[in-house]
Amino acid sequence: MSFTTNELMAYAVSRRLRSEDLVFIGVGTAGRAYTLAVGIPLVASRLAQLDHAPDLDIYLGNLLSPDLAKMPTQLTQDAITRWPGAHAPADIGNKVDALVRGDFTVSFESAAQVDRWGNLNITAIGAAEAPDVRLVGTLAQAEHLAFVERPIIVVDLSSRTFVEEVDVISSFGHASTQGSRRQLGYSTGGPALVVTDLCTFDFTGQGLMRLNSLHPGVTVDQVLDQMSFEPVIPDQVPQTPKPNEEQIKLIRNEIDEGQALLRH
Amino acid sequence: MRDKLTPLEQAVASIPSCSTVAVGGSLLRRQPMALVREILRQGTDRLSIMTWASSLAADLLAAGGVLRSWEGIYVGFWWYGLAPNFRRAVQWGEFTVQDRSESYMTARFRAAAMGLPYLPVAPIPGIHSIRHGVQEVTCPFTGQQLHAVPAAEPEVTILHAYRGDRYGNIAWPAHRDSDDLDLIMASGARRLIVSVEEIVPHEQIAAMPNLTYIPHTKVDMICQARFGAWPGSCDTRYDEDAEELKRWLAAGRDPQTFADYLGGLLAGGSHAQMIEELAGAQRLSSLEVSER
Repeated sequence: MSFTTNELMAYAVSRRLRSEDLVFIGVGTAGRAYTLAVGIPLVASRLAQLDHAPDLDIYLGNLLSPDLAKMPTQLTQDAITRWPGAHAPADIGNKVDALVRGDFTVSFESAAQVDRWGNLNITAIGAAEAPDVRLVGTLAQAEHLAFVERPIIVVDLSSRTFVEEVDVISSFGHASTQGSRRQLGYSTGGPALVVTDLCTFDFTGQGLMRLNSLHPGVTVDQVLDQMSFEPVIPDQVPQTPKPNEEQIKLIRNEIDEGQALLRH
Repeated sequence: MRDKLTPLEQAVASIPSCSTVAVGGSLLRRQPMALVREILRQGTDRLSIMTWASSLAADLLAAGGVLRSWEGIYVGFWWYGLAPNFRRAVQWGEFTVQDRSESYMTARFRAAAMGLPYLPVAPIPGIHSIRHGVQEVTCPFTGQQLHAVPAAEPEVTILHAYRGDRYGNIAWPAHRDSDDLDLIMASGARRLIVSVEEIVPHEQIAAMPNLTYIPHTKVDMICQARFGAWPGSCDTRYDEDAEELKRWLAAGRDPQTFADYLGGLLAGGSHAQMIEELAGAQRLSSLEVSER
């Protein structure tokens, strides 16, 4: 049974999710960015619940265990306020505390720039002061990469996004010119996986981005064409595992019936 | 308790130029826009603002050219896109920017709420946003290396809220969107101005005191501002005005076009008059949602 790239990406993510996980998914953004930041993570989490991780917990925006059957189609304020779920914290500080304490085991990240060490930039292109392009700031992404067990980066492959060194380190990956994660005082964590529209990456023991799998029909050269640096390339690069018919049907018929999540 | 009901104009007149102002709300929700527009009408200038996730408030103050600095976790228009005026002003170096990650920003306001000069936070080494105003400290019990952030010290804090009595008791609805820092900002405020959608009798507040998230003891002035977050949203009261946001973003592509747009926005002379005109033009009723 044929599948779309979005379905393949969602399946690749879902394979990494476990029943004991508490995953954090942000809300907001629109179009393709919505599919990457919300759609694919949500489909992956739901697929994992139905497939192999029944007890997996989702924290979406400000809502723990949202009723996904009642997912709003329009993200207007009232639709979000009315969305049923298990818990919303009294103030946002409670959620920040949970994050810093390490309650979340998986988080999903997108960024304007990602570098070979998995550093992320959502702050500015160019200098931090008087930049060429000002982006949104910082949010809690730095906390995600610092305190979440296995952050997963979901972005499309592009040489503008995959840069040698990010212009501004909003969130720290595995190393920078300042030193390694360990040298800077981090004990654990860092980005675990990068899922793109052409391939997936993980990171070596030294914290360098490494080609982990190629999507069906994609070559190493096609991947390198879309990157401004060369990742570590193993001798044998496996193909990204394909979802089976049952999993594809779950996505299309149960999880994303209205195609709100994987449309773009 | 004493009567703290104050006309919006008078409340804003008490905010001095060159002061540091904490501005509440999160994303498109409960940005204190009636107060922000009045700041621009009165020509209050050279403000340093501190925000959580800001959108309309930071963008409008940037467009008005009254900012000396901004500190916060985010400025953008959520799924509508980036903040056009804020973005341009930062790119042109018009004011200084202090990015803060969420745990550090929360600690800034919590320290103020606790009456402490600083709070330690779990360190996030190597990131851009810790370059200024963060010090290393050693835990006296464990020897662990931590980061210390200073207490937020805004001279004035401005928030927009749902309802309150004339004494300044500000109440939540039972069901709301809780994704903001307003409660902590209020707890640590030095001087607090709150605009509310509705002034209600004290008896209504007194019947459910646990819904009072900001007590009158913290509030200096309470102002009535119906649709005070427009064109943003006030959860349980009204949704964001998508059409107006699109006009805003379109005008924001060019500074002169936005200056004209801003002029039109402020032309009514007062918030009350502006809302009356919008209501008269049938612009507001479709945004209203029913409270639960």
